[in-house]
Amino acid sequence: MREEKIRVLLTIARFDGHDRGVRYLARKLMELGMEVIFTRFVHPGDVVSTAIQEDVDVVGVSFSVGGHKYITSEIIKGLRENKRADILVILGGIIPDDEVGELINMGVGKTFGPGSPATDIAQYIKDNMTKKQ
Amino acid sequence: MFEKEFLEEEERLKREWKELYDRFYKDKEFKAVTDSDIPVKSVYTAKDLEEIGFRPEMPGIYPYTRGIYPVQYQFTPWFNNLVLGYGLPEQTRERMDLLKEMGARGYFGKDAYNLVFDLVAKAGYDPDDPEVTGRVGVAGCHFATQDDFDRLFHDIDLTKVSVVQNICRATLVEIAMYIAYLEKRGIPITKVYGNSMNWLWSFAFLGNVAFPPKSAFKLMAEFIKYCCRNMPQWNHTNITSYYVEESGGNAVQEAGYAISAGIALTEECIRAGLDPDEFLPRFGFQIAQAGDFFEEVAKVRAMRRVWAKVNKERFGCKNPRSLHLRMHSQTSGVTLTAQQPLNNVIRTTLQTLGAVLSGTNSIQTNSYLEALSTPTEESHILALRTQQIILHETNIPNVSDPLAGSYYVEWLTGKVEEEVFGIIKLIDEKGGFRKCWESGWFKDEITKSAYQWREKVASGQKTIVGLNKYVTEKEQKVPVFKYPEIEEEAIRRLKEYKEKRDNKKLEGALKRLKEVAVMVDETWPEHSGELMPAVIDAARAEATLGELQGVLKEVFGWA
Repeated sequence: MREEKIRVLLTIARFDGHDRGVRYLARKLMELGMEVIFTRFVHPGDVVSTAIQEDVDVVGVSFSVGGHKYITSEIIKGLRENKRADILVILGGIIPDDEVGELINMGVGKTFGPGSPATDIAQYIKDNMTKKQ
Repeated sequence: MFEKEFLEEEERLKREWKELYDRFYKDKEFKAVTDSDIPVKSVYTAKDLEEIGFRPEMPGIYPYTRGIYPVQYQFTPWFNNLVLGYGLPEQTRERMDLLKEMGARGYFGKDAYNLVFDLVAKAGYDPDDPEVTGRVGVAGCHFATQDDFDRLFHDIDLTKVSVVQNICRATLVEIAMYIAYLEKRGIPITKVYGNSMNWLWSFAFLGNVAFPPKSAFKLMAEFIKYCCRNMPQWNHTNITSYYVEESGGNAVQEAGYAISAGIALTEECIRAGLDPDEFLPRFGFQIAQAGDFFEEVAKVRAMRRVWAKVNKERFGCKNPRSLHLRMHSQTSGVTLTAQQPLNNVIRTTLQTLGAVLSGTNSIQTNSYLEALSTPTEESHILALRTQQIILHETNIPNVSDPLAGSYYVEWLTGKVEEEVFGIIKLIDEKGGFRKCWESGWFKDEITKSAYQWREKVASGQKTIVGLNKYVTEKEQKVPVFKYPEIEEEAIRRLKEYKEKRDNKKLEGALKRLKEVAVMVDETWPEHSGELMPAVIDAARAEATLGELQGVLKEVFGWA
C-alpha cells in the first residue's frame, strides 16, 4: 500500500439532474479516506482532461439518462490516447444489465446500480487499486 | 371545537388507556418520526385537534384544505396524467395512441397527453450539438422543429385535447414554436388548452446547466405575461417541487420551497405589471407522493391551505381561483428500487392511493421500472391500470376528502402547515427565494437531508424492502425499455429543415430577437411583454429550438 490517499474523480453530465447518488458517494468516499474531485462535464473529453490534470487513480461516471455507451467509450479512448489506461474507470446509475458486458469489454472496471452501498464501492476501489500497485 | 362533555369523556378514556398501555409496555419507549422528522405519538385524540386550533371546513370553501372544488372525484375523476415520450415524435405518438386506447383520460373524460421531451430539447439544444451526442430521443421525445409538432399532432384537433408540454428550460421557445405551428394550421391560440412546465426556477435544486436566477424569473414573467394576455385557456405555470423530494429533501422542505417559489414568481409578475388575480388562476403545482403515507397526504392538504392564505393575505387576491392550489401528484421515483423491481408495483399503488386520498387533481403513477428504464408498453399500461382500479373498484372516489376529521391526519396537516410557514418565513428572512438560490442554500439543505436519509438506509435504521432487508440472491428479471437509435435521423431531418427554409428571413428575425432580448433584459421591467412576440416572430421564420434558445442563452446567461 502506498502512503498517499486514493484520488477519485466523480463526475456527471451537466445534462443529468439525477446527482443525488453521486453526491452522496462523493461525501462517503471522502469520509472513507479518499480524495474526491466532483465535477459536471460537458464533453467526454472534459472527463479525460480533468482526470489527467488532477492525476486521479479512479474515474467514476454517473449515468441516469442514457448516453453511457458513447460517453464511456470516448473517455476510455481518451485515457488510452494519453497513456493513462491505468486509471480505473467505474460507472454508476441506471445501466441496463445486458449492456454491462459490453462496457466491461470496453475497459470499465465495474458498474454499480442504484442503491449500491458506498462501502462496497470503496472496497472495490481499494481492492483494484492494490492490484495496480 | 369539541363539546366539554366529549373532551371529559375522552380524558377519562385516556386515563384508562394509559393504565392498559403501562401494564403491557411500561418499560418500553415508543419513538417515531415522520420522514420529515416530525415526532409522532402512537395515538391521537380530539385533544390534539383542540390544541392545533382545528376548525370546521368544507371542500370548495376557503382555505380549501379539503379540496378546491365542492366535489372531488364524483363527477370528474383525476387526470390520468402519465408522462410519455421517447425516440422520434412519431414513436412517441404511438405511445400516446396506446395509452388513449387503454383509457387514459384528462379532466371530464377528454383526451389529454402529458408529453415529455428529451433532455436535449429540455435544455434547448438541437440534436447536432456536440454536447448532446448519445442523448437524442433519450428520456423523452426528440424535438427540434415545427415539423416535429406535425409528426405528433397532424390529425389531432388541438382545440379539443389538453397537451401538457414538459420541456422545462426551453418552454418559452417551444411554446413560441407551438404558436407558430398552430397559426400554420389555422387554429386560434385562444382556443387551445394545456400546460407548460416552465420550470426555469427548479434549478435552485438541481445541478444542471440553466438560466441564472435573475434571468429565470424575468423569463418566466415574460412568458406568463404573454400567455395571460393571449392564451386565456393556457395553464402557463407549473411549480414543481417534485425534484426536492427526489433530490433528497423531505416533505415539508418540498412544500415550503414550492410555496416560496410561487411567492417569488408572483412578485416578479407584479413587477412586470400584472395583477395577481390575472395570472394566479393559471398556476399549478406538481409534487411527489412519496413513502410516508399520511405525511404525504397531510402535505397536499396543508399546501392547499397555505397557498390560499398566502395569496389572500400577502397578495390581497380577490378571485377565488387565485387561491386554488391545483395539484398534480407524481408517485416518487426515488423510492423505487432496482432490486426486486416487482415490489415497485406495490409502492406505486400505495403512493397512488395516497394521492387520491389527498384529493389531488391529477396523478402520474410511475412505472415499476423507474429505477431501471423508461416505461415499456406493459409497465406503462400497468401504471394506468393502478389508477383505474382505485377509481372503479374501491368506491373511494364516492366521498370527498375521506380522511378529514381523522385525529392524526388533521393534526399532521396542521403540523405540516406550521412547518411550511416556518420555512417561508426563513426564506423571507434570508432575502427571498432568489437570494437562497443564488447562495446555494437550497442545494445545501437538500444535500444534508439526502445524506441523512441515505445513512439511515445504510445503517438499517430505515428499512427498504429488498434493498437492506429481505435481500435475495436471485435477481428478479424484468424486461426493460430500449431506446430506439434515432440520432442520425434526427440530425438528417434538422439539416433538411434548415435547407428548405428562407434563411435570409430567419437571419433578420433572429437579429431582431436578440435586440429585443437585450432591451428587455437591460431595462427590466420597462419593456416587459415584448420578448415573447419577438420569439414567436423568429419561430414563424422557422428557427429551430436550438437557434431560438441560443439567442436567449447568449443574452440572459447560461451556466
